[in-house]
Amino acid sequence: MTSKTDDRTATPMEGIDDRYQSLLRRVHVDRTTGRMLLLTVLTFGLFAALNPRVFLNPLNLQNIAVAAPEIGVLAIAMMLAMLTGGIDLSLVAIANLSAITISMTYTAVAKDDPGLAESLMPLLALEGVLVGVAAGAVNGLLVSRVGITPILATLGTMQVFNGIAVAWTGGSTLYGLPQSLADLGMSTVGGVPVLFLVFLLVAVATGLFVARTPAGLRAQLQGANPVAAKFSGIESSSVLMRTYTVAGALGGLAGVLFIARNPTASADYGASYVLLVIVIAVLGGTNPAGGFATVAGVVLATLTLQVLASGFTAMRLSAYEYAIAQGVILIVVMVTDQVRWRRRRGPRRSAPSDAAVPPNSHQTLNSGRQS
Amino acid sequence: MVQPEQADARQPVLAVRDITKTYGGVRALSDVSLELMPGEVHCLAGENGCGKSTLIKIISGAERPDRGEIVIDGVAHPAMDPAGAIRSGIQVIYQDFSLFPNLTVAENITLTSAVADGKRLYSAAALRPAADRIVAELGLDLDLDADVERLTVADRQLTAICRALVHEARVIIMDEPTTALTHSEVARLFALVERLRDRGVALVFVSHKLDEVLEVSQRVTILRSGRHVVTAAAGELSPAAIAHHMTGREINEERVVSALPIDAPTVLDVRELNLAGAFEDVTFSLRRGEILGVTGLLGSGRTEIAEALFGITRPDSGTVHVDGAPLTGHRIEDAVRAGIGYVPEDRLTQGLFLEKSIADNIIAGSLDRHRSRSRLLDRARVRSTIQSLFERLKVKAPNTRAVVRSLSGGNAQRVVIAKWLATQPKVLMLNGPTVGVDVGSKAEILEILRNEAERGMGVIVISDDAPELVSCCHRVLIVRRGRIVHELAGDDVTVSRIQDRMAA
Ligand SMILES: Nc1ncnc2c1ncn2[C@@H]1O[C@H](COP(=O)(O)OP(=O)(O)OP(=O)(O)O)[C@@H](O)[C@H]1O
Ligand SMILES: [Mg+2]
Repeated sequence: MTSKTDDRTATPMEGIDDRYQSLLRRVHVDRTTGRMLLLTVLTFGLFAALNPRVFLNPLNLQNIAVAAPEIGVLAIAMMLAMLTGGIDLSLVAIANLSAITISMTYTAVAKDDPGLAESLMPLLALEGVLVGVAAGAVNGLLVSRVGITPILATLGTMQVFNGIAVAWTGGSTLYGLPQSLADLGMSTVGGVPVLFLVFLLVAVATGLFVARTPAGLRAQLQGANPVAAKFSGIESSSVLMRTYTVAGALGGLAGVLFIARNPTASADYGASYVLLVIVIAVLGGTNPAGGFATVAGVVLATLTLQVLASGFTAMRLSAYEYAIAQGVILIVVMVTDQVRWRRRRGPRRSAPSDAAVPPNSHQTLNSGRQS
Repeated sequence: MVQPEQADARQPVLAVRDITKTYGGVRALSDVSLELMPGEVHCLAGENGCGKSTLIKIISGAERPDRGEIVIDGVAHPAMDPAGAIRSGIQVIYQDFSLFPNLTVAENITLTSAVADGKRLYSAAALRPAADRIVAELGLDLDLDADVERLTVADRQLTAICRALVHEARVIIMDEPTTALTHSEVARLFALVERLRDRGVALVFVSHKLDEVLEVSQRVTILRSGRHVVTAAAGELSPAAIAHHMTGREINEERVVSALPIDAPTVLDVRELNLAGAFEDVTFSLRRGEILGVTGLLGSGRTEIAEALFGITRPDSGTVHVDGAPLTGHRIEDAVRAGIGYVPEDRLTQGLFLEKSIADNIIAGSLDRHRSRSRLLDRARVRSTIQSLFERLKVKAPNTRAVVRSLSGGNAQRVVIAKWLATQPKVLMLNGPTVGVDVGSKAEILEILRNEAERGMGVIVISDDAPELVSCCHRVLIVRRGRIVHELAGDDVTVSRIQDRMAA
């Protein structure tokens, strides 16, 4: 009897669910991205309602758009590493190393010829990215050839890159950089900060890479099941090498954004970014166990957290309260994921009823519990 | 037409009534009922995706039915829960084994009972004797201390069987327990089944090997597309009748091989391949358009030969030529680039990306072939490859976006085959291509292989299913202790010859 009433209520629900799904498919937005979009709008609306005078002030909006890019680019890099089933803890250290290299090179050249140093701006920016490529390649080698677990490999390189940065700068903050780079950090095109445009460009390029190139699909497959990837002729070492190098390059680019915005460079900038960037990547729908990620989700997650940070400032709340809010959002999103998953698949409490787990099962089993 | 049992006085230990289950829009079961008597082996048969595993998961509490009830000892439940099912004496050997890969064999065998008993402290040592006993009783050579993730498919299957048998169960459900087992292991399992039956245990047995079904069971229930078709005593059915009930049509298992042109060029040439401890002096060649069977007992080296050709292991010596060009490099990528494809034995971990869509799985091996000049994937071409293979292989799923995990076993196998056909290999090796595939689909898969061969592919079928080899292979190589000991060709390819030579 009870099961019959269940059935009657369940069917229309499923119908709505299906219709909602097909609607999303038609506008090419998947579930996580749709949910993320809602969250972004809600967060924005909340602060706009609470304190419209400060929050909706053009200067405040401008600030959000200038602060978001460096975090967003790092989050996209983190997403790539997670897509292959790994993680890159060294990204912020790479970004700082990139910023410091730019500043050091500028200062060294400017000592003899300030004009030349100023004119080298594009090359200096490129240099920053190349530092990232080199650092990313080191990570790639450790993960793909030596075979160290990504979390440990990049924890190690994070310390090393950070150590190099501290030793090189003597722990002080560097102020040398081409004026044109600092100007770029403040300039806008049609009211949109250039830095933000760079972020969007990176997002679009990464989106294309992940969804539309053979290499991107290989990265997804590698993360989804490394053994099956190997048996499909996918060379895991080159996939990982490429992914960590690209992530490093994005880290280097984030360093360029660091120095353009602040405009300074130091070894301890953005110390809280590592965790923030992981939160953003996961919030944006990246599966920490690998195989699934959407760039659009990560972009929206970046904006949401930036709006949140700025809203907290507008409300005169502290950095600690912001940190707590970050954690709460992450947990709420994970919980709603779990609930939806249960409702769709029915009770599946027994681990043994799940299918044979691929050999990267430690990850799979753990993530099953978290996400 | 439910056959009335003679012992009507006896109550069924377990019955399901009018079970209906849908997944999204897919109706996996419609109003299915089944009664299970103590001391009987009840076989559940039907095509891939007809709902056998779903029914089993409903009985074990892994899934909830939309409608219907499960009756145990006369008490009706709208749904079961896994711990409750185990406590009521129901044990299941799942099709995918559902083992914990990072635990040892012994731990896997004893863990669930400890958990179901609600023990707070679990001690592997205390339960070890139970694990020892069941392994001895089955006469198995199973290393209890090995980690499950390191085991072969056959050993994993044996572990899953031991886990179910270690309990004092009243109902044991086996979802395709014999797919990876050899004759002798199957014989020992059946002997144990007989002993359990004498003790009054009721068993449900699922298998696509119809001769096995008739050998072990007393009653057979056949499902088709989620509906109950017939329940009858095993004695009243023949394999052909079962196949007919399952598919609704006649299945042709006869030998159909094309005439190879005399001048068909050699596409694969293997000379004096050696790998210490696995195989010795392996020399054979394969012509374009030819289907070559490779068979032998489990552990004979037949899988190892294929794995060496595919670059999974590195042979100590020997040469391999594909289309006249030497195979350089000994990695999988090299083999794939040279035009060799391999459908592995262990499709769940090695063949499939379970959480990815059918589309992603099909395209996984041929990404570079679908690149446009802009270096992006050519989406139109990707879509047409995926769609045409999806249709040609008749994968049963709502669309290509469906996640592979939601497919039934036989349909998952078609996806792996589709992945390799998308790479248009010169040589396709298939290890157990129709394991877990129903009789109708099996005939279809063999027909697909015949068609691919006609188009010029060289096909190697590694299998211990003699009728299957006879049905499609031009020649059959028999491997024993790492050596090719016989070659059968033409009219010599018969079931009895293959079985004689394998055992000899
Ligand atoms: N989790 C799921 N989500 C969606 N559909 C599912 C799910 N599980 C099973 N199905 C569908 O239900 C149907 C029955 O599947 P089931 O696994 O019971 O088949 P089966 O009879 O065991 O087949 P096989 O012989 O291939 O193992 C199939 O069409 C399958 O695609
Ligand atoms: Mg099944």
